[in-house]
Amino acid sequence: MYFHLPASLAFTPFLDPLPAWPDTVWPWLLLPLCLAVSIVYKSIRCKSMRQVPREAGGLTITIILAMAAAAVVLAVVVRGLER
Amino acid sequence: MPDTPTSSPPAPALVALAAWVLPGAGYALLGQYARAITIGTTILLLFVLGLLIGGIRALEVPGYNAHGGKLISWVKGQNRNGGAPYGLRASDAPLPPGAREEGWVVVTHPLDELRSKPWSIAQIMIGPIDVLCDWWSVVVSQPSDPNNPNSSRIAARSHSRINELGVLFTAVAGMLNLLAIIDSSHRAGQLEAK
Repeated sequence: MYFHLPASLAFTPFLDPLPAWPDTVWPWLLLPLCLAVSIVYKSIRCKSMRQVPREAGGLTITIILAMAAAAVVLAVVVRGLER
Repeated sequence: MPDTPTSSPPAPALVALAAWVLPGAGYALLGQYARAITIGTTILLLFVLGLLIGGIRALEVPGYNAHGGKLISWVKGQNRNGGAPYGLRASDAPLPPGAREEGWVVVTHPLDELRSKPWSIAQIMIGPIDVLCDWWSVVVSQPSDPNNPNSSRIAARSHSRINELGVLFTAVAGMLNLLAIIDSSHRAGQLEAK
């Protein structure tokens, strides 16, 4: 964290990139992307907008679980190829 | 808020144009206000979040280089097929010796320029907001000291994962708006047919 402190202090929104370089930080940025894709997709698909929050929430969780599963499978494949 | 169509639906082309000009506006024209606000707000937030993550310079603007210089194409001699191979230079850079200036690359080689910046095609689907942000990106790519071309730029350029995420967010926002444009104009067409 010490190394990222100066960059964080110098951050000007839109003029500087978000100081989220650590591998423990940037993957969390994929969550709003999944949520936005789910909301827009379900807003288009659902006949009634009342269904959207529930349907979009379910789709968001499905996307995240699918990506996590894909990451695990790929990690196993990479480890297998490394041996 | 009502989520029912109006009595006289507008033409699909008008709905598509409105949806491009302002995300969600196509549904608003059809009287589907809840859908319009949900889709429009989500797409705009995603686009703004992309610019916040990658910085405004994550947008690659056709016709301009990474430093905000207008790209001018030039030709020198002819290749085997008779066509002239071309090079690019920023408008403030000197023309290579013996070269002939062609003009702004967006006019002289538009397809090549779009092919070199493919994400700009997805981003333009957001509408005039993207054009405004492109202009802002070019402005802040200039040197902070106009008298010193080598001085630091007004805005920093993102790299690696952060740049990828910025480009991804803005491009996905554009593609989602394309989906909304197609869907709203299709709904307008269905209402017109009834």
